[in-house]
Amino acid sequence: MTNGSIDSLIEDLAGELEPVRPRRLVRGSLWVAGGWLVGAAALLWLAGPRHDLADGAMMPPLPLLAFWLIVALGFAAAWSALRMGLPGVGRDYGGWRWAGLAALALPFSALVMAFGDGHAAMVAAHPENGRHCLAQGVFAGLGVGAALFAWLKGGAPTSPTRAGWVIGIAAGAAGATIVALHCASDDMMHIALWHGLAVALSGVVGRVLLAPLLRW
Amino acid sequence: MSIDEPSLARLMAASQRGDRAAYRALLGDSGKWLARYFARRIAPHQIDDLVQETLVSMHRKLATWDDSRPFLPWLAAIARYRWIDMLRRQRDEVELGEGDAAVGAEDEVVHARLSLDRMLTLLPAGQAQVITLVKIEGASIAEASQICGQSESLVKVNIHRGLKKLAQLIESE
Repeated sequence: MTNGSIDSLIEDLAGELEPVRPRRLVRGSLWVAGGWLVGAAALLWLAGPRHDLADGAMMPPLPLLAFWLIVALGFAAAWSALRMGLPGVGRDYGGWRWAGLAALALPFSALVMAFGDGHAAMVAAHPENGRHCLAQGVFAGLGVGAALFAWLKGGAPTSPTRAGWVIGIAAGAAGATIVALHCASDDMMHIALWHGLAVALSGVVGRVLLAPLLRW
Repeated sequence: MSIDEPSLARLMAASQRGDRAAYRALLGDSGKWLARYFARRIAPHQIDDLVQETLVSMHRKLATWDDSRPFLPWLAAIARYRWIDMLRRQRDEVELGEGDAAVGAEDEVVHARLSLDRMLTLLPAGQAQVITLVKIEGASIAEASQICGQSESLVKVNIHRGLKKLAQLIESE
């Protein structure tokens, strides 16, 4: 390259070089774990745990299954978001989509159950019975959302739009797992609708609010 | 000096430790590699600007290279991001009516066209035609309008939509 301005730019950049600490996924994972713990501590301190968990008992099987499905989605989305901060052509960041597809089992199951019991579905869908779970889920996910946003803001996400979605979904799923430790409902329709809505709403918020801030 | 992956990875690792001589060599080699990379993707008069923008981005994001992974895919990811960003800016310029750029030597134009052709085939014909005329061959909006029989505002809309679609296609590759 013979261009003088590029040569002079190279001199300037080399002149201001300082040692950098390479970003490691382990460090980002610790931030995310910290964000989850902060969210869980805040919600459980403010609202308290489920009575059966507080008594040392296990959740019933279906809520437990829903809990683990959402945990898997949260893990997969958070891991994808962390990897997006370290770019590389040919790297696959789409693992969270498979977990997302698996988690769709929840709304599909709820839909089938709703066809069988329309009255119960109407009760479950009433905002009075679920909007607090939605708000708590979004609130409890803020710690994970903030950790992933900070990680990606310092990283180099090559698709800010996708990164915004994935941060939101990871934060919403984290919030939904925390709400599951508090919410006393064992109704699958309630869990699928209101806890699931926290994931979807957080995803949209991540896409709309965070994506523009992640451009570099 | 040949630009090979192991040498570049060694230079990058030394650069992350603060070795300025290694960094100078790395930036020089990366600049040459980027010029070739962009030569197949954008109009020739834009290459130097995009190389410089990418080198600055590389400098700002030095810590995001993981030494357990190869260097060139990392550099290519940053280059592709800057390329998409440039396409977006061009799209915005079209909205503002500033999309009439001059273009350099004829053989370089042909070179740039060859690898863009594949991407342009994925766009509707009207969009691909006006992007080719205005963004690669350097025609003005008015000239493109006369050549392809679209109104000037439709040319602008088609460039805007086509560049947006092009950026999405590249991003999803």
